[in-house]
Amino acid sequence: MDLAWSATDSAFRDEVRAFLAEKLTPGLRRAGRLMTSVYADHEASMEWQRILHERGWAAPAWPVEYGGCDWSLTQHYIFSRESQLAGAPSLSPMGIRMVAHAIIKFGTDAQKEYFLPRILTGEVFFCQGYSEPEAGSDLAALSMAAIDDGDDLVCTGSKIWTTHAREANWMFALVRTSKTQKKQQGITFVLIDMTSPGLQIRPLVMTSGEEIQNQVFFDEVRVPKSNVLGQIDDGWTVAKYLLEFERGGGAASPALQVMAEEIATAAANQPAPGGGRLLDDAAFARKLADARIRTEVLEILEYRVLAALAGGGHPGPGASMLKVLATELSQSLTELAMEAAGPRGRVYQPHATCPGGPVSEFEPPPDGYVSGEAWQAVAPLRYFNDRAGSIYAGSNEIQRNILAKAALGL
Amino acid sequence: MDFNLSKEQELLRDGLAKFLSTRYDLEKSRAAAKTGTGWQPDIWRGFADELGILGAALPEEVGGIGGGPAEVMVIAEALGHALVVEPYVDTVVVAGGLLRRAGGTLANELLEKIVAGTAVVALAATEPGSGDDWQAVSTVAVRAGDEWLLRGSKVVAMSAPVATHLLVTARTPQGLSLFLVDADWSAIDGHHYRTVDDRRASDLVLDGVRGVLLGEEGQASPSLAQARDEGAAAICAEAVGCMRKVLADTVEYCKQRQQFGQPIGSFQVLQHRMVDMYMEVEQAVAAVYLAVLNLEASPDVRARAVSAAKATIGRAARFVGQQAVQLHGGMGMTEELAIGHYFKRLTALQYEFGSTDYHVARYASLTK
Repeated sequence: MDLAWSATDSAFRDEVRAFLAEKLTPGLRRAGRLMTSVYADHEASMEWQRILHERGWAAPAWPVEYGGCDWSLTQHYIFSRESQLAGAPSLSPMGIRMVAHAIIKFGTDAQKEYFLPRILTGEVFFCQGYSEPEAGSDLAALSMAAIDDGDDLVCTGSKIWTTHAREANWMFALVRTSKTQKKQQGITFVLIDMTSPGLQIRPLVMTSGEEIQNQVFFDEVRVPKSNVLGQIDDGWTVAKYLLEFERGGGAASPALQVMAEEIATAAANQPAPGGGRLLDDAAFARKLADARIRTEVLEILEYRVLAALAGGGHPGPGASMLKVLATELSQSLTELAMEAAGPRGRVYQPHATCPGGPVSEFEPPPDGYVSGEAWQAVAPLRYFNDRAGSIYAGSNEIQRNILAKAALGL
Repeated sequence: MDFNLSKEQELLRDGLAKFLSTRYDLEKSRAAAKTGTGWQPDIWRGFADELGILGAALPEEVGGIGGGPAEVMVIAEALGHALVVEPYVDTVVVAGGLLRRAGGTLANELLEKIVAGTAVVALAATEPGSGDDWQAVSTVAVRAGDEWLLRGSKVVAMSAPVATHLLVTARTPQGLSLFLVDADWSAIDGHHYRTVDDRRASDLVLDGVRGVLLGEEGQASPSLAQARDEGAAAICAEAVGCMRKVLADTVEYCKQRQQFGQPIGSFQVLQHRMVDMYMEVEQAVAAVYLAVLNLEASPDVRARAVSAAKATIGRAARFVGQQAVQLHGGMGMTEELAIGHYFKRLTALQYEFGSTDYHVARYASLTK
């Protein structure tokens, strides 16, 4: 038993650190630090992807022949950890980390040749069309119709919770090509050009005022069959593969560690209810210590899942557990940040932050005035947006269903 | 990064688990705890002679195998799983560590006897006015030739009734010091009792009892702090063993127990409760690694990791223990099923070697 990195891994960590120190400009760091959700400012995110691509690190998890890196799982973890600790803006997960893996596994040569290099450069930017107004946790209940019409599928219906639909020029979506007894059958995985006629986007204004999520309407949108990924009616196989692919190499604890450090720093300069520093307030200090302890423990759990993967094992129910623990912990930290922010945490000033999308119906003050500091402006927006953590990517209730079956045999 | 046990550690774990599953009967051990001498000396002999676990984590110079925190973790977890009441942590981990750091012929001879199973050593540190703080000592020691005379009171000295020797903390003009005292109850005014989790402990009044100084006079404080952290880490591992057993029993019970025409384990509200128990256990396992892998680091790093672990285990032990009882219903409150006995141990250990609140507060002060 040993917690230390090997010499090779330590050298790799130093290499990553040096790269981050050199390439992360103040503007990019600001975009990373003042994020109001898991989504960084779009421009900053794409700029960072361009810089990473120059180095060949934009899509490290891809096979080397398509532009990935020949890294061990430990190295993937180190890269992810160091990027978060350095405050790098996050990259959009939909293209590089999601649909690309399905294209590599199920795509035709033409699809691979067209999409993969363009995903790497950012020329193609994907959004995800899974959820529908009547198909959330019960994803397989989706009903957006795709009617066979010669060389095309003609799609009618709507998708919801489409992150960055307006920034995207492509969507990967699940559509219903036939109605069968088993709802998982008859689904097809398609790639849709967002400039197709008949497609309309309605942004959803979130409680933070941000327009990152959208509802997308399809009125007889024609999708060439050459844009089907895998087989018609067999899209669930592709979707399941994608879900499984989200496993491993991910690290949530470093970002949570950074959040906790920032809260501690802030609390050292904020007054406590009964006088003195907030950091010395017994009730606050206890909650902060509890969150930090959970973060340290989560880090070990992440190492353990990683170690199992690196040894050729399967993450098993570990991935579901990490999702639940990390999102619930993140939500507690956003509560603490609100407490630390004090009265200024109630001021709505998104112009002092770097949100992941445009802000609706808000005029920033002409002189750019900010009440208090930027982190105090971030706190409430992050608190609102972070409610999503226990809802998205399989709600935490769904994850507990999975764990009951997979971990406890119930 | 390596979370695998070595071949030797796996053998140690499997050998002990096999011994306990065939030889350590829950009912028999409860009977010994309640009505007999408080423990089963033949089990202790088996630990020494057949398994060699008493020396697994002690140095080779005293007849041990020279293992470390990882060996203690493996052993304590297995003991927790079988709800063993014999004083492994008190004698080998806590007293063993104090003796090792004290050094000298006397300490080494006693360590040899611990390895051989012929000496059982218990620490008497807690006092009526000390609360849970081992460093708050008002017992005094006065020099009398080669020996010292000790005056003061100790309470809840765990395992003292079954001990052959006591380690007693006392102040001298030089400061906090550690003394070896024979467990001679004709010289010590002792009251022996059972604890709620079926262990044995004593209150003692020392009125000029003879003791021998161990280590440097006035220099016991850092070693005591270390012993407390090592004891905390060991019972964290013990708790993991208890919790694994309790969770497995609860899941099994919920699969069998029929109500409303179906197993109660088919109800989602109970499934999610058990998943929350499972996640607490997994976090507890990770917390033990955190403590064990930092146990030989500098005092501050060690203290921070141990506090993180003990706080996590305290939270987990409370939740898992209470929910195990809840899901077993009324039967969970009886002594007829194992669950009730484990629940008592999971309750008591939350308060040993520093309570959950103490460790959260210490962690907070170390991370400020």
